[in-house]
Amino acid sequence: MKRRRISTLLTLLVSAVCLTACGGGEQSGQEKVTLSVMGRKSDMEKSYMTTLFRHYETTTGNQLNIITIEDAEFETEAAKRFEAGNVPDVFMHFHNADLSRFHVEDNFCYLNDESWVGDLADSARAYCEDRDGNLLGLPFWESSVSGCYYNKTLLDSLGLKPAATQAEFDMLCRALAEIGYTPVCWPADGCTWMFQFGLDPIFADDPDLLGKLNRNEITYSEIPEVTDMVQWVKNAADNGWFGDDYLKTGWSDISSALGSGEAVMTFIWDTWFYTDFDPESRYTVDDFAVMPVFMNTADGGTYEGGNLNMMMVNKNGAHTEEALEFLRFCAAPENYNVAFDGISTVSCFKGQTTNIQSKMVTDARASIDEKERVSTAATRIVGYSADDVAAAFDSLLRGKTDAAGCVKLMDQYRIEEAEAQGADGF
Amino acid sequence: MLKGLGILMRKWFKRWLPAFLLGLVGAAVVLIGVFYFELISRRIYEDSTGHLEEIYGQVNRSFGAFIDRNWGILNGWGDSFSLTSDEANAEVAELIREEQDYWGFSDFYFLSADGGCVTLDGTESSLVLEGAWDSLMTEREPVMTGEKLPAGQDVIVFAVPVQRGFYKGFAFDAIAVSYTNADMARSLNVEAFSGKARCFVIHGDGTVLLSTQTGGNVFGNYLVYLKAASDLSEARLSRLQEDWERGASGILQCRIGGDVNCVLYQPVGYRDYILLSAVPQSVISAGFLAVQKTTMNVLLVIFLLVGIAAAALLIWRGRAQSRRSRMELQYRELMFDVLSNSVDDIFIMLNGENHSVDYISPNIERLLGIPVSEAKADIRVMEKCAVNYDVVIPRGELAAIPIGGNRYWECEYMHQTTGERRWYRMTVYHTSIQNVVKYVIVLSDRTQEQQMNQKLQEALTAARSANEAKSNFLSNMSHDIRTPMNAIVGFSVLLEKDADQADKVREYTRKIMASSHHLLSLINDVLDMSKIESGKTSLNVDRFSLPELLEELSIILMPQAKAKKQSFEIHVQGTPPEQLIGDKLRLNQILINLLSNAVKYTPEGGAIEFTVCELSQAQSQSQAVQQYVKLRFTVKDNGIGMSEEFQKHVFAPFSREISSVTNKIQGTGLGMAITKNLVDLMGGIIQLESEPGRGSTFTVELSFALPEQEDERSWLTRQVTRVLVADDEEEICRDIEELMRDTGVEISSVTTGDAAVEAAVSAHARGEDFHVILLDWKMPGVDGVEAARRIRSQVGTDVPILVLTSYDWSDIETEARQAGINAFMPKPFFVSTFWQTIEPLFTDITVRDEEHASAEAVHGVMEGRLFLVAEDNELNAEILTEMLDIEGAKCELAVNGQEAVEMFERSEPGYYDMILMDVQMPVMNGYEATRRIRSGSHPEAKTIPIAAMTANTFAEDVRDAMASGMDGHLAKPIDMDAVRSLVGRLLNRTKDTSEREG
Repeated sequence: MKRRRISTLLTLLVSAVCLTACGGGEQSGQEKVTLSVMGRKSDMEKSYMTTLFRHYETTTGNQLNIITIEDAEFETEAAKRFEAGNVPDVFMHFHNADLSRFHVEDNFCYLNDESWVGDLADSARAYCEDRDGNLLGLPFWESSVSGCYYNKTLLDSLGLKPAATQAEFDMLCRALAEIGYTPVCWPADGCTWMFQFGLDPIFADDPDLLGKLNRNEITYSEIPEVTDMVQWVKNAADNGWFGDDYLKTGWSDISSALGSGEAVMTFIWDTWFYTDFDPESRYTVDDFAVMPVFMNTADGGTYEGGNLNMMMVNKNGAHTEEALEFLRFCAAPENYNVAFDGISTVSCFKGQTTNIQSKMVTDARASIDEKERVSTAATRIVGYSADDVAAAFDSLLRGKTDAAGCVKLMDQYRIEEAEAQGADGF
Repeated sequence: MLKGLGILMRKWFKRWLPAFLLGLVGAAVVLIGVFYFELISRRIYEDSTGHLEEIYGQVNRSFGAFIDRNWGILNGWGDSFSLTSDEANAEVAELIREEQDYWGFSDFYFLSADGGCVTLDGTESSLVLEGAWDSLMTEREPVMTGEKLPAGQDVIVFAVPVQRGFYKGFAFDAIAVSYTNADMARSLNVEAFSGKARCFVIHGDGTVLLSTQTGGNVFGNYLVYLKAASDLSEARLSRLQEDWERGASGILQCRIGGDVNCVLYQPVGYRDYILLSAVPQSVISAGFLAVQKTTMNVLLVIFLLVGIAAAALLIWRGRAQSRRSRMELQYRELMFDVLSNSVDDIFIMLNGENHSVDYISPNIERLLGIPVSEAKADIRVMEKCAVNYDVVIPRGELAAIPIGGNRYWECEYMHQTTGERRWYRMTVYHTSIQNVVKYVIVLSDRTQEQQMNQKLQEALTAARSANEAKSNFLSNMSHDIRTPMNAIVGFSVLLEKDADQADKVREYTRKIMASSHHLLSLINDVLDMSKIESGKTSLNVDRFSLPELLEELSIILMPQAKAKKQSFEIHVQGTPPEQLIGDKLRLNQILINLLSNAVKYTPEGGAIEFTVCELSQAQSQSQAVQQYVKLRFTVKDNGIGMSEEFQKHVFAPFSREISSVTNKIQGTGLGMAITKNLVDLMGGIIQLESEPGRGSTFTVELSFALPEQEDERSWLTRQVTRVLVADDEEEICRDIEELMRDTGVEISSVTTGDAAVEAAVSAHARGEDFHVILLDWKMPGVDGVEAARRIRSQVGTDVPILVLTSYDWSDIETEARQAGINAFMPKPFFVSTFWQTIEPLFTDITVRDEEHASAEAVHGVMEGRLFLVAEDNELNAEILTEMLDIEGAKCELAVNGQEAVEMFERSEPGYYDMILMDVQMPVMNGYEATRRIRSGSHPEAKTIPIAAMTANTFAEDVRDAMASGMDGHLAKPIDMDAVRSLVGRLLNRTKDTSEREG
């Protein structure tokens, strides 16, 4: 691994020297421009981003005006600037429902015909498409695979196997619970992502249904699978599959629960093991493996693709062409491999070779390829708010309402949010 | 000691035996229950494991049949494949595809001996057939094995060798079908124990080949699972593994998680495959347990029902018993209440611990006036009616009474409302029933006994007292009667001896008369007292004049006081009414007794005050016109007084204080007793304050009815409109002004003689002379007589001047009349007295002369009269005859009433002037004789004066005499003055009547 990284760097340096020596290469005859690139401050300061920006400026001679906005103010401040007509040449944003406030259709180019589209990983491309299949941006981000990560060592020691179906998952939970383990670490206190894993298959597998939902022609309550998922969560909690204190379990508790072996499984993403999991735990990352998430909405389970940041091009700006050229630069294997060299991430590009992929993912690659779905609920459902859904589930799990009531709450919050956004049909 | 221990043991045993037996029965039931449950559980286990073996034996056979069937099918299909015709094989493949759903396998494979593999659609695939490949290809045996597909899916593969054939160009030597675990489960359809059992086909090392559970399998190695999840020891696990590796069958029990499981294993009969099932004991035994539970429930219900029935029976019997007991108790209480109400004994039951009242007989309210509820609430309420006891029920002493013993106290109570005293003997019984201490208190009524004792004591005391009194009386009487009798007898002897000496005869006669009068008064008092005590005394109520009464008292007492040089003053406080209705005679008797005693027991020069005070007047409720007045008569002297001891029985008969002073004073000892009795008879009260050597004060308060006002006096017609009053006491002046207010007469008052003279002269000078001048006799400076003299010298003789005095004016009468005083008027001032005094002054002098002549005529009324005297006693008859003779009168004697009647009937009209009739006579008494005379035919039957002449001297006797038709009453011994007065009055009346009739 280390040897490959050094060789890559040498290649980059040689290339850089050559380009410099050639006096700018292909663009030597062109006028140098300065492109404005706006994004969230922490996003823009990621090492692979700064490497990329630096590499671009060095390679092309163009300048990048990196406009960063504090994370907490990003959404509102960026929207304000858009409203004021200060749209950057390149705008960097995650693809989710909140993108609507930036009037994507009016401000940005569709990138369906770009040459680099074929190099995109399927899941990455799907992530960056709008509801009509138009590619809105270039995914350029560290990514991960969300699934059911389990303690394979522990499971083996118990003579148990990972589940391949929803029924087997339920069996597994029951078998673990009856011998005193917490089958699933369910951080209900402040963690909000689990629910979208269950919702993804419903809407990813049925775009028409998603369309109806987003046009307010149907509600969650009218979709049986949603209620099935909610009821499964409730049953799992009642059966003790989430342990006794799941309502008090939060983000910071996941590591100890999994690392100690108290809990056997959790719904999370692979990079979490490199960022938040305590390497000093009794069980290490090497003890874990991944299987699909089972939440009673897909019999074979599901994986969720990474939530990606993508770069969009201002189609009304003065440097639209230069900006598209900037994206082409980024999508070139020789460039993104420079940027992602040594970065632990799932590949966005098929030609991505310098990044580091976890063994858990690579071992389950066949299963992931078969069952991975793009993050649909959080990114495609108009009015979806992970916090709102979590609030509805909180009422359910605290016994304040039943499954039907929980679904109604989810609808209520979603519709309220959609109305607040002024979404069509609401 | 041993005996006591034995008793203690027996008591303990008797007390705790039921509890001990109950505990014994309970323990036996528990032991039997435990034994029964153990037995049943073991039996259930045996039955359930047997049942389990039977079930999974069947499953095992099914699985074996499933294997054979698959191999059979594969062999059938294998035989169908052509060795050369690819097309024919395609048709067979199509047939297999069509039957795939029926048989339930997932995929069909063509296998080549070199390891190649294709599916029905010709797709290249891969089957490893780990451990079975050689058997299949080399040994040409059918095989069954587990396989992990490239996608990670676990499947079971059945394969059989076939003759080499070709399919879609692929040369195959064997064919195979694969089943997913779910397919297998569906095909085997083993769902014993409602899906709660786990059933696997495992290898000898515990690796799970397949699970019969629908839905899949998550168990990789069941031996590892048991190691991790069960409570099986390493040794047992090793034995288990050995069993599995050598293809043995067996069954064991272990705890997995929280449940006890039965793990059963049997060899499948193919390779090292073992059919293994793990079933929770509760699931296996569910049916048996359900039966057991049902049995137990039924038994429990039966026990409960029996228990409830027994309890209900016990409760019913208990309630019935309780009801009977309650009823008996109520009856008993009722009977006891009735019983206690009919007696005067009180029954109480106290709780021994807190002394609360368990029972109290209801007659306590009747007997002591304490409501039962109050007594029940707190027995200490009885202390309120205790007499001379601080604590009625000595609760502090109750505990000291031994159990079974009793103690009694004598108590006296007073009824709370009536004040009636009752005496009880309180007996407290200390009892203990079932270790509950009670005090039964019986208050036995001793009131009647006590009262009888008291009465006997009183009677004894009274008898002793009476005896003593009578002894004293007899002694006194002996002395008091003998003393005058001695004088009478003695002087009679001397009289006979000195009969020829006139002076001595007169002296002896006077002394004999004095002694006789004393003896007579003594006899009168004795008789009076006897009459009062016998209850035969009644009041003769009539209208009388208070001023007249006071004047008479003054006339009687003044000389006695004067004789002892005592001052005697009569005061009137307020303005008492002059006319009263009452028994004047008895009032007179009361006051004379008190005043006589005052004079008698006050030394010479002493002072006696008699005061009349009006206390109140009240309107009668029944008669608006009749009113009452309450008067207080006070007799105060500064005499010898009485000792405190004597004051206690001064009103007792025959009581006289013995002292050197009183011994010299004559008395019967009956005066105060008579006085007290008369006051009582009149409804009044008499009180005494006295101190030896300082005097006594008697106070008598009596009520009198007031007559209707009949003031016929007309001051204006007498032209009396202005009166001058002079008295040095301003109070008297104010009293006179007050008393005269309603008369219309103007009263001018002065307080000195000089002022009186000045006022009279001044009025005369104005030509407005006073019509009457009233002067006090004794005034400082110019006294009444001197003032009268001066007034006469300047005003003349037309104005009547009266002297107002409380003294006997006889000594100054001559001087006063010479000074110009017209008349004397006694104090206190009364309007009626004033009128009576001045009225003659305005009357014609001739009237007065006639009256004077009439009075003088009385003195000669006896002369020449003839009396018919009825007297059975010869001595009395002789004495009367002699006395009448002395008076110049004659008499004819009848010895009884009958004879008197006959003599009168025979007489000529006018023959007898009057009849003097004794009352108690033989043949016919005086009353009857009088009635006969009055009813007779003699012309003078109705008019002849008849006077009683009797020793019956009481008021009742007088009344009886008048009722019989007599005209007057003369008491024996005969007082000739009284005789003359009566005769004069009666004969004058007869004369007037005759004149009017004539």
